[in-house]
Amino acid sequence: MEKAKISASQLFILMVLFELGSALLVPLAIRAKQDAWLAILLGMLGSFVLFLVYHKLYSYYPNLLPTEYMQKILGKVMGTVLAFVYILYFMYDASRVLRDFGEMLLTFSYPDTPLFIANALLMLVIIYTIRKGIEVIARSGELLFIFMYVLAVAGFILIVSSGLIDFKNLQPVLEEGILPTVKVAASETLYFPFTEAIVFTMILPYLNNSKKAKVTMLCATGLSGINLVITMLINITVIGVNLTARSQFPLLSTVASIQVADFLERLDVFFMLAMVIGIFFKVTILFYAATIGTANLFKIKSPSKLAYPLGIVILFLSIIIASNFQEHLHEGLYIAKFILHIPLFIIIPPILLFIAFLQKRKDHGSKHV
Amino acid sequence: MKRKGFFLLLMMTITILLTSCWSKKELTDLAIVSAMGIDETKDGRFHITLQIINPGNVAGGLQGGGGGSQSPPVTIYSASGDNIVEASRRASGRISRRLYYAHTNLVVVGEKLARKEGLNTLIDGLDRDPEFRNTSTLVIAKNSTAADLVKTLTPVDKIPANKVLKTLEFTERKWGENVKTSLQEVMKSIESPGRGAVVSGFRLVGNPQQAQKLDNLQESAPGATLRASGIAVLKQGKLVDWLYGKPARGTVWILDKIQGTNININWAGKKEAIAYQTVRQKTSVSAQVKNGKPHISVHTRVEGDIGDMEVPVDITNPKVITKIEQSVRKEIKKELRSAIERAQKNKTDILGFGEVVHRTRPNQFKKLKTEWNDVYFPKLDVDITVEAYVRRAGLRNKSFLSGVKENQK
Repeated sequence: MEKAKISASQLFILMVLFELGSALLVPLAIRAKQDAWLAILLGMLGSFVLFLVYHKLYSYYPNLLPTEYMQKILGKVMGTVLAFVYILYFMYDASRVLRDFGEMLLTFSYPDTPLFIANALLMLVIIYTIRKGIEVIARSGELLFIFMYVLAVAGFILIVSSGLIDFKNLQPVLEEGILPTVKVAASETLYFPFTEAIVFTMILPYLNNSKKAKVTMLCATGLSGINLVITMLINITVIGVNLTARSQFPLLSTVASIQVADFLERLDVFFMLAMVIGIFFKVTILFYAATIGTANLFKIKSPSKLAYPLGIVILFLSIIIASNFQEHLHEGLYIAKFILHIPLFIIIPPILLFIAFLQKRKDHGSKHV
Repeated sequence: MKRKGFFLLLMMTITILLTSCWSKKELTDLAIVSAMGIDETKDGRFHITLQIINPGNVAGGLQGGGGGSQSPPVTIYSASGDNIVEASRRASGRISRRLYYAHTNLVVVGEKLARKEGLNTLIDGLDRDPEFRNTSTLVIAKNSTAADLVKTLTPVDKIPANKVLKTLEFTERKWGENVKTSLQEVMKSIESPGRGAVVSGFRLVGNPQQAQKLDNLQESAPGATLRASGIAVLKQGKLVDWLYGKPARGTVWILDKIQGTNININWAGKKEAIAYQTVRQKTSVSAQVKNGKPHISVHTRVEGDIGDMEVPVDITNPKVITKIEQSVRKEIKKELRSAIERAQKNKTDILGFGEVVHRTRPNQFKKLKTEWNDVYFPKLDVDITVEAYVRRAGLRNKSFLSGVKENQK
């Protein structure tokens, strides 16, 4: 663990950027059709509960990385194994997001460039950032956060002023009843992008004021959730449910439909800029968590040395995880859910909390006796 | 030292890569396609006609040579293939540059293809391509092939594609018997359950051979011109009918796309005596389902001015204005009714009534969905209510004819 501190507002910004990251890119929760926004909202509310669990664990061990407290809770061997599983997950997730980035670039504007080159270029920047440590990541986050929001607000104003929004596209609300929407929320949006932010348990020990952790996490999730809801609402109201569902990158199609006063059009490149920023932070944070986790687990003194080897692993992983984009999406939506998301986000943390709670009570009790 | 050298090398390599020369497109190597015409060949393949801009000949002002007797502003290339992508690739054998579709604002489909094959098979290729934008306008070439339409040179707006787009845009706004429909809108309406689509029609008037020649432009009244003409009705992507005149305008009206238009009413025994110019209107459609029978109400609210009176009318009297408003109401109602009846005769719900039922009564619509176009829509009960208001009357109150009438008494 490096000696660094970040402030609550920096944590907030990183978390918002993380959750917006690649979630802006894909047709999120589109299986709920025109009620996608509701599914996102429900997913967000559900994730609040899990964040409280993660936070409770953190409050038991405010100065330890999860990789350490897992060993305290479960014992040396079990804890190490579990921590290692989490590190592998972070690396896998980083490579997934990196793949999303490459696929977006290649599909949209660099059809002749190999995927490896596109991914490698972003990876080089990320490796550099990782070597600089969490403080630099947080500060660059502050800078680019403003840029991203300026883009988002400008885009929003343009879409509204070009008169593209047709709220009728959102009707009928809850066509098939509430059940399918809840199902989508529980099976998709809850994990991606919300509880994916479990990676921030690795960042929390760096927070300079541990009391603010809970509020910051919940506020960040709330803000990003609302932003995603607005994005999906705009996508559906502008290009319709069917086209949104058929689009690989619906927001791109939405931005491409902007035509204001016959000259403000073809603004797709701004969408790309926002995406690159979001994805950069998402990969960086996942990668950073993997790096400090590995350093902590294997007692390596300077985590920044791990940036190169792990970075190369993530880069190659991003190429080999799927042979085509459809396979990549299928893995993310259907396979990762059962193998990774449900056990790692929903099952294990509460178990850890329960055991930690029992241990604490025992300690507490024995002290008094 | 060694480390610094390594970094320098790394930075230089990255700089080269970051220019993204890998997928570079040099401006001088691009053939900018302004319009694309799609027809069917005799053996059922696609035949595409590409209108490519000659950059040197469209540059405005003196350099362009005011109509230019040297060479035309666009050049046409064509190719055929089993699908559009193949045809487009095959065309590269005829063009010295790489075809660039990002500025293709117009897609013209030949009437024959639209009638026989329909648009469904050709849309995906356009929709999927990252370069092509689905905000481009879709037009059906009436009475001719798309190729003839794309080949026609036009006066005033040198690039023919622009001429077509601007014509549609202005006529939609000022007259309302035509619509400007983007590829995206057409897709949306074809896709929506039990709905037909409308696409604007365009027609070449005159001799197609002459239309391609620069000589044509050197006349003050060119022998061959392009003209917006009618609205094509698509049922399941296939052309089934053309709408003109009142049904056309009524359709545009119900779709709430009309902005300004002109309505004539009869007055004091004289036909079409007063011209009413609409300034703004708002149309809303609502649906009820009673005993499994859908019921639609259309409500429209129009505001406008009086533009012309061919009979002496004393409009200083508010009661007269009320009477004029009533006649306008009747006139508009007639027009909307004719549009609905025409759509019902075609058994094609181009007005989006099914969609309204789906939106507001999703459960009942499930039962109606499959037979909507053929069974329920043609028998649909439609209520039309019109609110029309005369707001202003231009610079004068009474007509000059009133003066004539008084003085000659």
